[in-house]
Amino acid sequence: MAGPIRVVIAEDSAILRDGLVQLLVDRDFVVADAVGDADALRRSVDENAPDVAIVDIRMPPTFTDEGLRAALDLRRLHKGLGILMFSQYVETRYAAELLADDASGIGYLLKDRVADVSEFVEALSRVASGGTALDPEVITQLLGASRRTGSISVLTARERDVLSLMAEGRSNAAIAGAFEISEGTVEKHVTNIFTKFDLPESQSDHRRVLAVLRFLDS
Amino acid sequence: MMESAKWIVVSDELEVRLRHIARTVARTPFTRRTGQELLFLVVGSALAAAGLAFVLFTMAAGVVLIVTFLGLAIIGLSLRGARRIGNVQRHMARVLLDERIEEPGLFAPRPGFLGWIQSALRDRTAWRSVAYLALKVLLAFLGILTAFSVWFDAVSCLVTPWGGGEQPAVFGLPRVFLPARLLSPEIGGFHRVAVFIIGVVLVFVAPWPTRVVVTVDRLLMRALLGPDAVSIRVRSLEHARAQTVDASAATLRRIERDLHDGTQAQLVALAMRLGMVKEKLADPDHLDLDQVVELVNDAHRGAKEAIVELRDLARGIHPPALDVGLEGALSTLAARSTVPTDLTVALGDRPTPAIESIAYFCVAELLANVAQHARASRASIRCTQHGGWLRLVVRDDGTGGAQLSDLGSSSSGLSGLRDRVHAVDGRIEIVSPVQGPTVVTVDLPLHA
Repeated sequence: MAGPIRVVIAEDSAILRDGLVQLLVDRDFVVADAVGDADALRRSVDENAPDVAIVDIRMPPTFTDEGLRAALDLRRLHKGLGILMFSQYVETRYAAELLADDASGIGYLLKDRVADVSEFVEALSRVASGGTALDPEVITQLLGASRRTGSISVLTARERDVLSLMAEGRSNAAIAGAFEISEGTVEKHVTNIFTKFDLPESQSDHRRVLAVLRFLDS
Repeated sequence: MMESAKWIVVSDELEVRLRHIARTVARTPFTRRTGQELLFLVVGSALAAAGLAFVLFTMAAGVVLIVTFLGLAIIGLSLRGARRIGNVQRHMARVLLDERIEEPGLFAPRPGFLGWIQSALRDRTAWRSVAYLALKVLLAFLGILTAFSVWFDAVSCLVTPWGGGEQPAVFGLPRVFLPARLLSPEIGGFHRVAVFIIGVVLVFVAPWPTRVVVTVDRLLMRALLGPDAVSIRVRSLEHARAQTVDASAATLRRIERDLHDGTQAQLVALAMRLGMVKEKLADPDHLDLDQVVELVNDAHRGAKEAIVELRDLARGIHPPALDVGLEGALSTLAARSTVPTDLTVALGDRPTPAIESIAYFCVAELLANVAQHARASRASIRCTQHGGWLRLVVRDDGTGGAQLSDLGSSSSGLSGLRDRVHAVDGRIEIVSPVQGPTVVTVDLPLHA
């Protein structure tokens, strides 16, 4: 990606909004706009055409899911716009809705994650360039949900762990580092997952996303 | 001179009054109300007699068969029938007498056949209907002799002279009061005319005994066919409970919102700043000390703000001052109020914690209103004991104009306050004329 990443922030808490701006500017992002509600977000994205939008799920006026609604609309209207949902709670339903047809350029993080600045910034960059960034908490809940429905049960415990990190958007090298195993072993697990989920051979990057979607769907 | 003028005035008044009575007596037999009351007397009596016969017969059958267990089911059916008859009576009273009796609760049987029998046998509404039917039949019997007989005899006297026979058939009340000789053809001469005149007089007398009997019936129906005292109480308790549940759900929602928007956001921002500091310190080669100091200052300020927010929130859930007692807690409130406030507390007994808490939040809410809306220069709080009741009087010398209806619609603090007070059977009254002063009186039971 050429040049700094352009960000629009939608967060109704002024304290957090200012904090995010401070953090992102410090890390050489360009904060095109920082707004406090969903309508302002829609206008701002139209105007500023950012690479990625950080969107709080709960915003005025109803404080339920207007952030999510706006994000779904923006996904339809702006191809290639990355969306990082930002929330104090994980709602499985929201995650499933968000990831329903395409997990690329989607993130869903708990607000706590900004405390680990580097990881947060990395996740944001990944989403901006079309990757995925799901909070470990989101993964746990989604895995829990799909474990109940059964399709995930074809995977071994280690394969599930690998899939969790894939869902977070990590590369094979990063996954190998996390479990202290060789990249070759990770490769083998990933291939097994693809086989068990019956995913076609081509476009291995895209297959990773499909694998994640497969267990999200279930 | 004065005396006679006064006498004339009195006689005028008397005349007006007599005229009025004469007019009423003359019209009453021909009013719609009289017709409807007569109809109710006749149809209601017949229905009650039939209903009681049905109930007694089925009950008797049930008692005979009680060893076969079918007996209980029959008694249950009999009671269900009694309930229905009660409903018909109530409906008839509404249509004919415009007597609106509140519906008793619906029959809500427990599941299963045994449950149904048990519920039917224990249905207080049905048993009260049976009691009504029994008393009503007694009343109907008296009603036939006293009220209906007058109508019957009136018609008999009016018809007989024109060929219905020599002597009118007279029974019941008129029979007691009219000398038999008066109706006898032996008095000769003007006999027919006399009987006819008696008939006319009876027509104008007849509505009144009917009205008396129907009035007694109204009282019976109100007492036995409406909801009984227990179920009225249950209804009001259910209502109060629903309000309390709603109020506590709303309180939880408010607390969650406050935590989410306030403390949680503060802590996230704090953790974020500390995270930035941590990473900057980990890279000593590019360390910008001023920037780090600024971040730490922001984090420090944020932590202090979060502490204040948490303290306010905690105090809103349960004021710690209440642990010492209501007087101490109220004096804190009075001291914190922006309008100078006098406090008088005279309590012999200590109320239960729930009441102390409600009293505290009432005063807090009312003082907040005084500060916001009343433009008052002084306020006072009196907290006194009257028997088993605690009375709070909050008074201010502000602009007034507050209305109890203001408490109704909105989900303001004031309506929450009213719900809290009603939940423990308390009362709240607002007197607030335009120009003021405003006096709000809250009565709470000491123990709830």
